[in-house]
Amino acid sequence: MNTLEDLKTAVINGKRKEVKAIMPDLLDSGFEPSAVLEQALIPAMSVVGERFKRNEIFVPEMLVAARAMKEAMAQLEPRLVAAGIKPQYTAVIGTVEGDLHDIGKNLVATMWKGTGFEVIDLGVNVSADAFLAAIDQHKPHLVGLSALLTTTMPAMKDTVAAIRNAGHTDLKILVGGAPITDSYAAEIGADGYSRDAASAVDAARKALAA
Amino acid sequence: MKPAGHHALLACDVFKEEINHFVTASPPWCAAVFLEMGLHDRPDQLRQTVQQRIASLEADHPQLQTILLAYGRCGNGLLGVRAERCRVILPQAHDCISILLGGRAQHDAVLKKNPGTYFYSPGWIRGKRVPGPDREQHLRELYSERYGDDEEMLDELVDADREAFAHHNRAVYLSIFNKPAAENYCRDCASHQGWEFQCLKADPSFLLQLINRDWNSDRFLIVPPDHSIEADSDGTLVARP
Repeated sequence: MNTLEDLKTAVINGKRKEVKAIMPDLLDSGFEPSAVLEQALIPAMSVVGERFKRNEIFVPEMLVAARAMKEAMAQLEPRLVAAGIKPQYTAVIGTVEGDLHDIGKNLVATMWKGTGFEVIDLGVNVSADAFLAAIDQHKPHLVGLSALLTTTMPAMKDTVAAIRNAGHTDLKILVGGAPITDSYAAEIGADGYSRDAASAVDAARKALAA
Repeated sequence: MKPAGHHALLACDVFKEEINHFVTASPPWCAAVFLEMGLHDRPDQLRQTVQQRIASLEADHPQLQTILLAYGRCGNGLLGVRAERCRVILPQAHDCISILLGGRAQHDAVLKKNPGTYFYSPGWIRGKRVPGPDREQHLRELYSERYGDDEEMLDELVDADREAFAHHNRAVYLSIFNKPAAENYCRDCASHQGWEFQCLKADPSFLLQLINRDWNSDRFLIVPPDHSIEADSDGTLVARP
């Protein structure tokens, strides 16, 4: 019988096919979907983030782990829905205008979906106006902005300013992406920053509790 | 002009052809160090490598006063870099693409018009890192050093790499001097990826000004000794103690 540890190891090592086989086994043998997420998947992505930070793995290995995580979530999501867990919060997420790199953003959206958020994913290259329209429509508790390139960091700053200028002063904004730092997040008026997808769950909870 | 012994060049290998092309007489520096291209993928490693080389240059060349960096911000990999007793000069650029396009504004304008642009230059083509017909084989060779004959893992790595370019739709070749083989290779890459192709005339002014010591303070950051390279919130590189 597979254990949560087996799943965690398979995700860390990017073994998507193993993950695909382990998931039904775990879910059918009584593990709660939330336990699978909180005790195996999120800790797995934390390890991946740490290994990348320590230069033990490269970008492609991180991408492969993300694919394995995505595979697990594809199986987990229907179970979370079936369990009748009503999302506690609504989040709007997207990559900022000019940025087409969505692997990190997709992972964060996946993590949030699994941990009590209804996530409205606006996709890539999202203008400040499109974020504002989605905020008006969905009345989210949280907005997530992602940028991979230093060329698109100004668009992140402009989007935060546009949201604040539109009167959403209490709306929590979380930012992330390879070139983003804690100090940059504070400088542009965001409420929080997440270094990687695994810590985006804690960062969101922390921002919402503040 | 100060003698060459007072200057050293620390450059990304991606610029090797361009710099060798423009340095026609004797080099205006006592040492030229080219570092492996692609280190920006791991900004901490890029920072450490550049920092170590700066320290070695300062230690090995007592007459040295100025270190020229043929680097931009490069995914934040240059932030925090400092020299102890030399000043450091570098272009106000996001990365090598801004340098080849002649400025951050020009780079921003191309991307604003089409965010799906992937840039090619002779250096990147030589490094075999560009998306195109040879990338997959190159990656398989690279990954098999680490994963042996784990074909499943190799397939996953190659697929994940392909996914990373899913939203791109245009290959832009930056033509800085006549190099038809590289331009044609870029055309092949565009065709292989199913992307539109465009050749853009590059602007050599940044590299020429760096080489010719024409360091206009609007275009170059001049970092005094014992100061580090930082960025302000609009992306301008600044020197801080």
